[in-house]
Amino acid sequence: MTSAITLNDYLIVSGLLFALGIAGVIIRRNALVIYMALEMNLNAANLALIAFSKFNKLVEGQILVFFVIAIAAAEVAVGLAIIVALYRRKQTISVDQLTTMRL
Amino acid sequence: MMSLYAIQLECLISIWGILILLVDAFKPIPNKRTVGYLAAGFVAVALLYSFAMQPVPDTFFHGMFRLDPFALYFKRLFLLALAAVLLMAAEFSPRIESGVAEFYALLMFCAVGMLLIASVNDFILLFVSLELVTITFYVLASYLRRQIPSLEAGTKYLILGALSSGFTVYGIAYIFGTTGTTNFDKLAEILNSQTGPPASAFIFGMLLVLTGLGFKIASVPFQVWAPDVYQGAPTPVTAFLAVGSKAAGFALLLRVLYTGLLPVSLSWNALIAVLAGATLLYGNLGAIPQHNIKRLLGYSSIGHAGYMLMGVAAVNALGAGAVLFYLGQYAFTNLCAFLAIIAVTAATGSDEIPSFSGLGKRSPILGLALFLSMMSLAGIPPLSGFFGKFQLFAAVVQRAQTDSKYYVLAAIGAVAVVISLYFYLGVGRAIYLQEAEDATPIVVSKPMRFGLVVCMVAMIGIGIFQRPLVHASIMAAKVFSLH
Repeated sequence: MTSAITLNDYLIVSGLLFALGIAGVIIRRNALVIYMALEMNLNAANLALIAFSKFNKLVEGQILVFFVIAIAAAEVAVGLAIIVALYRRKQTISVDQLTTMRL
Repeated sequence: MMSLYAIQLECLISIWGILILLVDAFKPIPNKRTVGYLAAGFVAVALLYSFAMQPVPDTFFHGMFRLDPFALYFKRLFLLALAAVLLMAAEFSPRIESGVAEFYALLMFCAVGMLLIASVNDFILLFVSLELVTITFYVLASYLRRQIPSLEAGTKYLILGALSSGFTVYGIAYIFGTTGTTNFDKLAEILNSQTGPPASAFIFGMLLVLTGLGFKIASVPFQVWAPDVYQGAPTPVTAFLAVGSKAAGFALLLRVLYTGLLPVSLSWNALIAVLAGATLLYGNLGAIPQHNIKRLLGYSSIGHAGYMLMGVAAVNALGAGAVLFYLGQYAFTNLCAFLAIIAVTAATGSDEIPSFSGLGKRSPILGLALFLSMMSLAGIPPLSGFFGKFQLFAAVVQRAQTDSKYYVLAAIGAVAVVISLYFYLGVGRAIYLQEAEDATPIVVSKPMRFGLVVCMVAMIGIGIFQRPLVHASIMAAKVFSLH
């Protein structure tokens, strides 16, 4: 059992996933890719929640994961609809060309 | 049965929202304005009914849900905001191309999320109700889907909102992982029994949750979305963001900091005090060059989040009560301003400040309403905003008796009030001192007139007879064990 996966291993993977998500939001300019990165944040949180639940033998974390999955699905439905509407109107989804309101 | 009693307001508003959707799907009523007035009237009845409800000391749904005086205070505040926003939506409905009934229904579902937020006592319910509010706001902000500003507002709110909910869940995961509970009461017990400083993983989780809430109340450094979204979103949605969403954020912030995390937040008030100072300066300085009234109110809402954070940072009973009082009077003031803005933009088609010039002559009631609400936002006596600020400053000064650094915060607040006079009076100058290019009188509908009068009476009334609202806010703040 020397090579068993510990809680810390799970947390490191989840932390990496979260960091990747944040980096994606900051670096990428395409609204769809940014949106994908945002979903990655939620999944990083899910992984952490499940790991904590498993190693602490508690069930609340897993319950919350179900809610997060459902909410993420709702968020995707709304988010993609908004991005599609934006593309129809502007023929681009680059966030660099998004800002028209100033001062 | 008791659980059902606890969530009756939420059930009532959801059922009414679904009914509006169904009736519109099967037997559409051609006059959408009437539907909006009806919806607003129904919510006003629900508001009156909520005064008959009594707080209950127990928790419901396995400790997730509370119906204490604090929850009831916020529920009444949200119902008031919803009624006024539905009235605005009815006035605004000619400018919505399609889906007017859905617009009303979405506003009501959003309010259900806020009603739940008032009662949150567990991180799971916190996340679910927060997302119910946020996701409906994505749709509402981009509701005018053929107009670029509205889409821009929706996209920006979507990206930053989804980012902040990612932070919130990740933070909840770490709080849960280090303490083994998501319930606020149990969390406070565990933190109280711990000796020594809390684990760094716990602090990490707490900071992430505060980030998510900071986004909701538009506090520095998570405020960048506010001016754009306030300007681009349909005006009723902007009003709901300014009144409902902000109050919901503060309800959560007070609950999380003063119940679940109270043992920790007593040593974290310095962080909140710094954020309060930065938010005050950013909001009030940023508002100076603005020439769009909705954008101006966006910056002003950042500034007001700063005033209220002063009360949160004080961590005393006076401060908690002052925040609640401020939110109550801020609701009336802001709703009055937005009602007037909707009536003016319906006539002029523009929400740039120059289009408000000569409003005092074009429509005396609109001019007076907008002028009074600007003065109340600036905090000029005898209007309600003055007494609200007075209480917040009193709380900070009380705190400064033991920790003299708080005098700096009070001084920043005072500077912010002086700065804010400039741009609020700028709007007042346009209303009364500048001549209108087009001097045709603006017609104000009867329900609108009623809404304006109620808000104006409340602003002046609360400013002169502060006792009832002060009493209510102090009773509500008593649920926290602060001194």
